[in-house]
Amino acid sequence: MVRTLAMFTDTSLCIGCRACQVACKQWNELGLEVPEWTGGYQNHAHFTDKTYRLVRFIEEPGGKPNGDLAWLLMSDVCKHCAEAGCLDACPTGAIYRTEYGTVNINQDVCNGCRYCVSSCPFGVVSFNESTGTAKKCTFCNDRIHNGLGPACAKACPTESIQFGFRDELVGKAAKRVEKLKAMGFKDAQLYGADAKGFLGGLNAFFLLLAKPSTYDLPDNPRLPQRNVMVDSLLSIGSALVVGLGVLLSFRERGKGGPHA
Amino acid sequence: MPKPPHWELMIVWYFFLGGIAGGAYFTAAIADNFGGARDRGVARAGYLLSLPLVAVCGLLLIADLGVPTRFLNMMRTLKVWDPMSIGAWIVGVFGLFTFVSSALSLSSSPSHAALRRKIGLVGIFFGFFLASYTGVLLSNSAMPFSAGEGWGKLKHADRYSMLVELLLLAALIAALGAAARPLVSGHFATLFWGGLIGLGLLLPLALDLLGTRARALGALAAALVLIGGFVLRYVVLMSVQA
Amino acid sequence: MTTNLIDMQNSDVIMATSNMAENHPVGFQWVMKAKERGAKLIHVDPRYTRTSAAADIHLPLRSGTNIAFFGGLINYAIAKNLYFRDYVVHYTNASFLIDPAFKTPTDLDGLFTGYDPAKKVYDRSSWKYQVDGEGNPRRDNTLKDPQTVFQLLKRHYSRYTPDMIEKVCGIPKAKFEEVAQLYCSNSGPEKTGAITYALNLTQHTNGVENIRSLCMLQLLLGNVGRPGGGVVALRGHANVQGATDLELLYHELPGYLPMPLRDQHPDLKTYLERETPKGGFWVNRPKFMVSLLKAFYGDAATKDNDFGYQWLPKRASADAYSHQHMFVDMYEGKIKGFLADGQNPAVGGPNAKLTRAAMAKLDWLLVVDIFLTETAEFWKAPGINAQDIKTEVFFLPAAPAAEKDGSLTNTMRLIQWHDKAVTPPGDVHSDADFFCSLAHRLQKLYAGSKKDRDKGFLAANFTYGAKPDEPEMVEVLKEINGVATEDITDKDGKLVYRKGQPLNSFAHLTDDGKTTSGCWIYTGVTVEVDGKLVNKAAGRKPADDKDYLAHGWGFAWPANRRILYNRAAADLRGKPWSEKKKLIWWDANAPGQKPEDKGKWVGLDVPDFNAFLAPDAKNGDKPFIMRTDLVGGFFGPLNDGPFPEHYEPVESPTKNLLSKTQINPVVKIWKVPDQKNELAPVGSPDYPYVITTYRLTEHHLSGVMSRYLPMLAELHHSHFAEISHELARELGIENGEKITVLSPRGKVHVTAMVTHRIKPFTINGKTVHQIGVPWHWGWKGVDELPGSRGDITNDLSATVGDPNVYIQETKAFVCNVKKGVV
Ligand code: SF4
Ligand code: SF4
Repeated sequence: MVRTLAMFTDTSLCIGCRACQVACKQWNELGLEVPEWTGGYQNHAHFTDKTYRLVRFIEEPGGKPNGDLAWLLMSDVCKHCAEAGCLDACPTGAIYRTEYGTVNINQDVCNGCRYCVSSCPFGVVSFNESTGTAKKCTFCNDRIHNGLGPACAKACPTESIQFGFRDELVGKAAKRVEKLKAMGFKDAQLYGADAKGFLGGLNAFFLLLAKPSTYDLPDNPRLPQRNVMVDSLLSIGSALVVGLGVLLSFRERGKGGPHA
Repeated sequence: MPKPPHWELMIVWYFFLGGIAGGAYFTAAIADNFGGARDRGVARAGYLLSLPLVAVCGLLLIADLGVPTRFLNMMRTLKVWDPMSIGAWIVGVFGLFTFVSSALSLSSSPSHAALRRKIGLVGIFFGFFLASYTGVLLSNSAMPFSAGEGWGKLKHADRYSMLVELLLLAALIAALGAAARPLVSGHFATLFWGGLIGLGLLLPLALDLLGTRARALGALAAALVLIGGFVLRYVVLMSVQA
Repeated sequence: MTTNLIDMQNSDVIMATSNMAENHPVGFQWVMKAKERGAKLIHVDPRYTRTSAAADIHLPLRSGTNIAFFGGLINYAIAKNLYFRDYVVHYTNASFLIDPAFKTPTDLDGLFTGYDPAKKVYDRSSWKYQVDGEGNPRRDNTLKDPQTVFQLLKRHYSRYTPDMIEKVCGIPKAKFEEVAQLYCSNSGPEKTGAITYALNLTQHTNGVENIRSLCMLQLLLGNVGRPGGGVVALRGHANVQGATDLELLYHELPGYLPMPLRDQHPDLKTYLERETPKGGFWVNRPKFMVSLLKAFYGDAATKDNDFGYQWLPKRASADAYSHQHMFVDMYEGKIKGFLADGQNPAVGGPNAKLTRAAMAKLDWLLVVDIFLTETAEFWKAPGINAQDIKTEVFFLPAAPAAEKDGSLTNTMRLIQWHDKAVTPPGDVHSDADFFCSLAHRLQKLYAGSKKDRDKGFLAANFTYGAKPDEPEMVEVLKEINGVATEDITDKDGKLVYRKGQPLNSFAHLTDDGKTTSGCWIYTGVTVEVDGKLVNKAAGRKPADDKDYLAHGWGFAWPANRRILYNRAAADLRGKPWSEKKKLIWWDANAPGQKPEDKGKWVGLDVPDFNAFLAPDAKNGDKPFIMRTDLVGGFFGPLNDGPFPEHYEPVESPTKNLLSKTQINPVVKIWKVPDQKNELAPVGSPDYPYVITTYRLTEHHLSGVMSRYLPMLAELHHSHFAEISHELARELGIENGEKITVLSPRGKVHVTAMVTHRIKPFTINGKTVHQIGVPWHWGWKGVDELPGSRGDITNDLSATVGDPNVYIQETKAFVCNVKKGVV
């Protein structure tokens, strides 16, 4: 087993320059996209099939330690979950885990059923109409297999996006959070760093300056597949109820009961 | 924020027709095995209806793929905990059953009939599965099940299809006139009013419109829809037969 | 800038007055590093930007009131005794005595002594030091004499009280005091603070004084020449510093030598006499000038012909030839032809409607650029009928940086070489190719000329390397660096430089024609090591523990010094002010200049000082070697005064609350025919809002390098104006709806971006709204992205200028805002 790689996005260092977003577009040749009006600088409300790195701009009145307006800047990306909803959902096996722990979509296998799209707790996967396949951040699969870091991390001028071995980055991140707390950022927290936490930990994890929901992130994301068992039982139960009803009525009819 | 998969009309039809195909086959097999002689017609109609329906289902499903020619990629793997993978397999396997059952239902040979009954009992499982896995599929996404927003068009389609089903039913009852009396006042009455209208349609609709995010209620709504759907399909089919 | 971006990590407090995070994101990494080390970041800006997002404190001030703000800080530092006294006494002219006739705006209601209201100029004869019998300035090191610069300064800024700041700038008093305390208390031997600025300070009718006011604050706090201190001048694009050094300017020759004036500088001797000061490093100006002329004219430049001085064009007046002068002259029909190389004034120049109208009066226009810009297609502008335009327009496609060898000199004086990555496609050429081949063709046309004035042009060399029209860029850099024109030997007859050998240092330049240098401050960038040419600009040795300033990465002029005036990092005796803030110091035991001598300046940077001049030697304690008096200047005469004084922008919503002098008394306001430069009166109800224009990270200047690139152009939905919720409510404007912004010069239609990041100001008790409009848009862009096109913001701005350098006032003027497209 190769040591797990990770990206650590420290939003406290982000200046929202979007070099990462453009570097990603350029390296992955993602092409042009007409932006919708989002009310501010952010140019897409969500990830798209042509935007794998998305810098979010969130105005948060009173969000600064001194009570000033905060403008939270966060470069969001596929989390490369240790327990990945998209991967579990994929019926073709197109979504797979690499030896580095990243989650990738084999574009030659994906048939575009889109189950992964709704199975990602973060709304990362997007469907591309022209290829007919599902798209998302590849963790620059081609780059990491050639000894390079992801394009976004390379482009980031402030080292807000750091690339490296997961265990090392988690250690660094924990220290950073302590420092920020001491500086008055009382909501500073890591998101997805804990391998024992939700989804088995995220291989692209974050340092946030506010509650996850402020950033449009679920507070406690869970694998959607956790419902299969319960729901299957429920549907078996309901089948039994229905079956029983049907059976009864046929019993009755079998007895040749009267009817109009 | 989780994203809807943009399953549109084709998939709604697929869910709907898959449900009817499964229900029809289910009803047929029960009638075949447990009904009297008068129910033979019901059985045959059920089998014969399920075959084209499931075929259409398969085609709808394939047509809706981003790359339809890669449909077979679904057959590369079987993931038992993955409703989509199971579903794809079920369409194929169940299709086979409907084909065999339909063929056998055309024969009057008693040995064929015996075989058909046994096959029917096995096929029930798959039919049931086809009819119900879509519910599991829908609830097993990251989309909050009963969240009013976000689930998008599919969620709306879901709601509307329930309303449409209600309307269809009303139209049916009106058209049948006196003939519908057994449905609303005969021995189906309890099942019809209680199961279909109440449990299956009104309650889940209410839950849905209330927009509650509670997971338990969501699951309840799912179960209720399933039950309602079944009752609907059963009732409709049976009334036609009556 | 006086410092180096890498060094900003050592700051204890950083005051960004520009939008550094957005416009200098790469350099901003060092600000973030400083923050990680616990430094505080203050952002002073009318708008809340991405810099404010990273800042500890955002301090909005009304556009155009920077001097009031800095003056307030100066007042605060003095009043609270937070200034660095030793530094101020010894390293600045604070202790110098000024002529008793000199009076400041405190006494003259906003004016300095000597104002001539008819001519709108100052007679500066009283703006001078008192001198002793030997001509040396008289000093009072106790700073008590009322005629000391310090006392005059103190009195001048005593009017800039926190209450006054609140009234003028719209900064609440408590907030001002919080920031003033935070910034000023982080100075002294143990601490330093840096201040950044960019076009936020320059593009005003008091642009130069704006910058002076922040420099004065830095001197007062002892923040110049020391680690973590400095005046961080952030340049407008990748090579503005290089363009300035090589003087693509109207008033200077390469290396900051004044461009001769026709009447004042009739010959080289007069020129050198008038322009060479008696003290400071500029005493070497004749060497630099003669070496420059030798670089221009080669062997044709001889002692007998003043080294070709007469071939240089001369300025008729100092008040002429600037960008704004040029377009007004063009509009008035005085300029017939125009070559725009890599510039898009149809969008980027102030009063862009006038700019385009001016180009329509040309006989010919040649545009050299990487895209067909709005300038190249000004005749296609919305509302213009191409048939009415008589101008003949030519366009030559140019190669961008990746398609050519060359260098860029960035904001920290760092010359960095880049190699050509790909060959330009088709008939695309680099600017250097274009200019060399143009020159060669012109030389052919002039070949037979016997006229004196043509001799220089015919003598000038435009061939670098084997192919005449395809210059080898390293050869160009070598010419800039300078070479020996003949074998040079030392007094023992030992060969120092072989003929043609590049020089190692500007200290070796001479005024006898034996050396050349195309730009003396660059000398040392190309040197010869073991007979091989070494291009130091191409060096790529990153910083390490031993050399945090990365002296092996590129080459910083002058002499690879990374922090200017770094002698000031040590005290009078040459010791670091503190261990924490050490940079260079006097090592009394180090081997000296001669074998028998001892003592040398050593440390973490190349000393910006005579390396062997002991602290106790004459002038060994005077760090500001480029100044005649060798000390930092609080008192520094400019056209508009020796101390910065607050005046309102030419267009303002309020009368000047500090004095009766409303605007800069010597401001340049152009009268342009046909109502092409109308101005709103003070407090105009028709134009009640303050507007500032600015740039975004995602776009570049007039958009030529971004609006045509989908990946960048799509990052912003469309051209927009940022307005406050308060103003939106007043005008019934929804976020995202189209609005019209109007000024007396023009109007633009943009999307309203309603945001908490803009807030109205309370000025003298009244609410004043301010809006912000970026200026990157023009009518061209990517077809598939309708939002990549937009109206030209500069259609709103005016043709007015600072009296020293004639820069425009695009950061503060007035406008109106209307809902919808009107
Ligand atoms: S974030 Fe979404 S797309 Fe990325 S690995 Fe996790 S589940 Fe898959
Ligand atoms: S490149 Fe770095 S600083 Fe810039 S937006 Fe991305 S994460 Fe933030």
